Amino acid sequence: MSAAAVAGLSACSGDAPAGGSSASKEVVLGILQEPKSWNPAIAHVGHLLQPYQFVYDSLLLRKSDGTLAPMLATSWKYTDDAQTVLELTLRTDVTFSDGAAFDATAAKANLDHFKVANGPQAAMLQNFESATAVDAKTLRIKLKIADPAFEYYLSQAAGLMGSPAAITGKDIDLMPVGSGPYIMVKDQSVKGSQYVFTPRKGYWNPSLQKFTMVTLKLLADLTARVNAVTTGQVDATLLDATTAQQANAAGLKELSWPVDWQGLLLFDRDGKVAPPLKDVRVRQAINYALNRDALLKNVAMGAGTVTSQVFGPESGSFLPELESRYAYDPAKAKQLLSDAGYASGFDLTLPLPPGIETLLNYVKQQLGDVGIRVNLVAVPIADYQSTLGKGTYAAAWFSLFQGPTWVACNQLIVPSTLYNPFKSTTPELKALLDATQAAGAQVGEKGKAVNTYVTENAWFAPFYRVNQIYFYDSKKLKVTPQVQMAVPTPYDYEPAS
Amino acid sequence: MLQFIAKRLVAGVVALFVVACLTFVLLYSTSGDVARNIMGDQASAASVAAKAHELGLDQPLMSRLSSWLWQATHLQFGTSWFTSQPVFTAIANRLPLTLTMVCVAILLIGVVATFLGVTAAVKRGAADRAVQIMAVLAASLPGYIVGIVLVLVFAIQLRWFPAISRIGPRSGAAVWVASLTLPVVALMLNGIAGAAQQIRSAFIKQLEQDYVRTLRSRGIPEREILFRHVLRAAAPAGLTVLSLQFISLLGGVVIIESIFALPGLGSLAVSATTQGDLPLVMGVVIYTVAIVVVVNLLVDVANGWLNPKVRVS
Amino acid sequence: MSAVVDDVSAQAEPGGLGGAVKRPGVAGRLFRNPMGTASVLLLAVIVLSAVLAGVLAPHDPARATDNVLTGPTALNLLGTDSNGRDILSRLLFGARGTLMSAAIAAVVAILIGLPAGLLAGYYGKWFDGLSSWATNILMALPGMIVLLAVRAAVGPNIYLTMVIFGVLMSPGFFRLVRTATQSVRNELYVDAARVAGLSDLSIMGRHILGVVRAPVIIQAAMVSGIAISFQSSLEFLGLGDPSAATWGVMVNDGFRNIYRQPLALLWPTLAISLTIGSFVLLANALRDALEDHVNVKEKTSASRRPATVAAVPATVAAEPVDAHLCEVRDLRIEYPQPGGERKTVVDGASWYVDRDEVLGIVGESGSGKSQTAFAVLGLLPDNALVTSGQILFEGKRTIDTASRRIDQSALTGLRGRRISYIPQEPMSNLDPSFTIGSQLVRPMTRILGISKSEAVTKALDLLSAVGIPNPKRTFSAYPHQVSGGMAQRVLIAGAISCDPDLIIADEPTTALDVTVQAEVLDVIRDLQTELHQGIILVTHNFGVVADICDRVAVMQNGRIVEQGDVRTILRHPAHEYTQMLLQSMLVGKPPLTRLMSDSATGGMK
Repeated sequence: MSAAAVAGLSACSGDAPAGGSSASKEVVLGILQEPKSWNPAIAHVGHLLQPYQFVYDSLLLRKSDGTLAPMLATSWKYTDDAQTVLELTLRTDVTFSDGAAFDATAAKANLDHFKVANGPQAAMLQNFESATAVDAKTLRIKLKIADPAFEYYLSQAAGLMGSPAAITGKDIDLMPVGSGPYIMVKDQSVKGSQYVFTPRKGYWNPSLQKFTMVTLKLLADLTARVNAVTTGQVDATLLDATTAQQANAAGLKELSWPVDWQGLLLFDRDGKVAPPLKDVRVRQAINYALNRDALLKNVAMGAGTVTSQVFGPESGSFLPELESRYAYDPAKAKQLLSDAGYASGFDLTLPLPPGIETLLNYVKQQLGDVGIRVNLVAVPIADYQSTLGKGTYAAAWFSLFQGPTWVACNQLIVPSTLYNPFKSTTPELKALLDATQAAGAQVGEKGKAVNTYVTENAWFAPFYRVNQIYFYDSKKLKVTPQVQMAVPTPYDYEPAS
Repeated sequence: MLQFIAKRLVAGVVALFVVACLTFVLLYSTSGDVARNIMGDQASAASVAAKAHELGLDQPLMSRLSSWLWQATHLQFGTSWFTSQPVFTAIANRLPLTLTMVCVAILLIGVVATFLGVTAAVKRGAADRAVQIMAVLAASLPGYIVGIVLVLVFAIQLRWFPAISRIGPRSGAAVWVASLTLPVVALMLNGIAGAAQQIRSAFIKQLEQDYVRTLRSRGIPEREILFRHVLRAAAPAGLTVLSLQFISLLGGVVIIESIFALPGLGSLAVSATTQGDLPLVMGVVIYTVAIVVVVNLLVDVANGWLNPKVRVS
Repeated sequence: MSAVVDDVSAQAEPGGLGGAVKRPGVAGRLFRNPMGTASVLLLAVIVLSAVLAGVLAPHDPARATDNVLTGPTALNLLGTDSNGRDILSRLLFGARGTLMSAAIAAVVAILIGLPAGLLAGYYGKWFDGLSSWATNILMALPGMIVLLAVRAAVGPNIYLTMVIFGVLMSPGFFRLVRTATQSVRNELYVDAARVAGLSDLSIMGRHILGVVRAPVIIQAAMVSGIAISFQSSLEFLGLGDPSAATWGVMVNDGFRNIYRQPLALLWPTLAISLTIGSFVLLANALRDALEDHVNVKEKTSASRRPATVAAVPATVAAEPVDAHLCEVRDLRIEYPQPGGERKTVVDGASWYVDRDEVLGIVGESGSGKSQTAFAVLGLLPDNALVTSGQILFEGKRTIDTASRRIDQSALTGLRGRRISYIPQEPMSNLDPSFTIGSQLVRPMTRILGISKSEAVTKALDLLSAVGIPNPKRTFSAYPHQVSGGMAQRVLIAGAISCDPDLIIADEPTTALDVTVQAEVLDVIRDLQTELHQGIILVTHNFGVVADICDRVAVMQNGRIVEQGDVRTILRHPAHEYTQMLLQSMLVGKPPLTRLMSDSATGGMK
């Protein structure tokens, strides 16, 4: 059979995405990672939250501008001054896909389950003490201590609601049972390859069911995603600056928004494995040695914003004057190193995850230019996070999302977080953190002091906030990015017509 | 003959057992931080320890090995650490695609390489040189280069075939043909010329046998000598060449499936390796070796059947 | 890719036909082959550039700059990579890591395969069983999958991965060395060495390693190529060590930026392919040099040396009306050599044979007697040239003087029908895959045009005529089920099955036990007395000649030195070579012992 004949055959099969057809509102999204389990307690952030949101509703809905809106909960408020008792009023017209009804008891069961299931985001409920079903539509949550991020968490993994009978069962790993707008078509879904969803009949909010079929296609490799989206095999997917030109040439629509900050986390502030890092001048010297503009231009083709702080513009604790706190100044870096007693430099070992070698080669070069001899050690991606958490390395590169103030503090700064492997803290910083946690609505303002402290003390050496670059076929889709989210949520897509 | 088959079967099972033990020890003696990887960056040390216990990572290696072997005899190969799927199911989902590709490729290689090899052996001269040049070229081009070039030319530029697989569980034959054409061609190209060259030498070796000259002296037509006698005599060597090709194809699919985003055993092997999903890696190794054992057994049986010394006694 | 080239083991066996032409050494022959020269030169360039990278590289290969993925410029001849580093410099330095990987794999494979093969081949016994078993398991492992498992276990360590890969590749060397050792172990000179008191170790070192050296180099070249391919594949998949400077890492970088700067992928790809290709070519060229293919063909030759043909018109013109059954006139057979010279194997031989007559052609091996016989049958190798002379069968020419080759169209009607052949080695001249019966029946149905059942009846008669005690049983047996003597009788039956006029018997008894020899000669003589064919009997043994021949022609170095009536020549050998042959027959042979096994009556094993 000739190749042309084969191509003709496949065109007739109807399997190819029918571009721009109004009758079938089907969409194929290229995704980077797949869920490990459909247990809602195993849901993660960013790429690993989106798939769950097709099949699970959350208690609160986070809109594309980052504000919270009603979803399964129609209203919610803290009922005490200490902000430790949160009362939610729930919808009464919601059922799960196994037929069970959603109510306060079910919501409690989910929160309890999330707490004990030890999922990757279990820390979201670290301040959760208990939940009580006051009546069928009223859920009262008691916190151990005020948690300014708690409402946000209820719009994320911790807020996903599954059928109570199913979430503790054995099948939940492989088949989701939620109250969400879509159900997964099990016999068309293959782990490691694709997931197919169709709208659920009798869903309480049909306005969220914008497609007749949704297919998530797992394409971990960037080049595969470029090929897929430029040849129309997927309708939307995440690319990056280096591949944007190819996608633009194919007539795709580009979305670009900042989510992650990238940079070095200078873990060893007490000098346990790399004594030089104990000296704040050394940490500052690293910051001054970095030519952030060159990094952004050479590695991310300029698609982002250079920064010296780890709090993002939407976090609430952003300080514009810190953006260029450490402008490129190799002379000053050398001076600081010399002042600290390292005039002849020192050796620094950084772990190198696959795919980041371009960036870290530049970092190695720039630090080398002021006398810091960087040794890159390859670490497999699967071991990367655990390696950071073990405290093997005094410093490491990472890319982390910029959440709201307290989410960011929890992720980066408190002694209990993975990204603080040496549990560094000071009394001054602890006081600032405590004040922020208890600040209620003032959390962002109080957080600015934390931001200033960690920036001035050079806890990190941020490079830039890199843009997420998302492409979609505008003849078929309309997509709005969601702030601080790596990929749009299911609610952010709609058919073009 | 039955005894012959039984002997090979036992040898195959023993080989599988040895490979399983070695692989298990290799994989699991170094796996330390898997629980942290599974639980993610936010999990507490206590929950990581709990996960490690749940996975049996705190058990001695040998007791884990013996329990794995015991379960394996019941076709239970454990559960993937990262996708919560039983290894058996994960592989069963992936196997049909990979086996289809490899079998189609080996059949095509068998036909084309035999044709080329026999032509080269009989005609010598230009045909011979052409096969040798092709073999050198094919051996010089690693599989990924062939795959990349095919995608760029036939999928991205000409758009004759999809750049990435469209195959899902309910796809029809047309989708399979469209999605697998380029991958199978990429798989074949590397093997075909090498196999042709080996079949050529096997054929020439038979052509140089004394009995061929005697057959000629008896007035048997050349065509009959080639196809009835020489081809038959060269068949065992040819089958052995193809069984080696088969083993190499099982490795080749790793690259090709990754390039074409095909949901087969090869891409599963890569993702499991990348994540450190050891039960899956273990399963993939056992399955591929089992497939090889079965193929080698079939080849042995076929060769035994072709060889009167084995068949008649 | 990973299929280990296994048939190199065949070349490990020593020997091969010695020729009169002086052969240059393996290295000399390697360099005569342009492919061999090219591959050695390329590899030398690659290795040198790796060694001299520090001198040759125009830039620091690690120096990141702001000129990202530029493409070729005056500053960066091959352009830059995603770090703005000079690709040319990185290629030069990257050759080190890549070649080192290949070397590690090859060395590990040799270190395991060579000693294991030596021990298994030399001592055999349990070690042979165990190591062959381990080898079979290793060969059943798909390399790529194993490397992935290794990668999962030990992380991105290319050199350790290559060590494991070397282990996977060791069976190739093991089999090669084992086969060679087994065949050398029983050679006479090894026995002699052993008797001379050499230790096993020095025998292995001196004799066996010499034999396996070249095949091991071939295999090492193949393994190096495969190792580079596998290693770069792992790096392409992103499973390598990204901080290492190897070509595979460059491929990975280039692939990730394929749409920004395709050249960044092209260069390392080219380097990898060229290197692997050089290794493969080197292996092929070495193999050719080792095999020393005499199979060099000259293109149509009439135009090149017409003088030779024109030199013998007198002979051609004088065709007698009353022709002999078969006559050979001034026959000269030559083989082209790789260097362009020719090797003469038959040098102006003339003789004839008539019906009801046995002509013996006697000579040592290499005297050209068998070549003459095959020329009559028209079964000379393709590249043989009949540079002068003619063969006449009943006066009909069978040499095409224009192309200087056998006129196959003339012989197709004769071979099997009028001329038939009894070969030397009975076992190797029967197709082991077919029953004896079918090998007898097929020529009869084909040549005589009789039905299959008639042919079966006739075959059974023939078997009984050549003295096979149980024809039915032999008819349905496979060749491996009968003894050598029986097989030779079967071949004689085959030779007379289509009632030929001329039988060419090439050393028909040499391979047989002494007692069987006499019986087989009896069969031939009886048949000839009965059927009155002409027989050409090629032999080195004057005993056989005395036993059966009417006339004899003595050959030495391609020439007939003496021919005539058997009695005359046996009694009054004129040529000193004939005298020497006769003497060696009388004094060189041990006294005949009739105690040897395998008598004619014990046919079935």
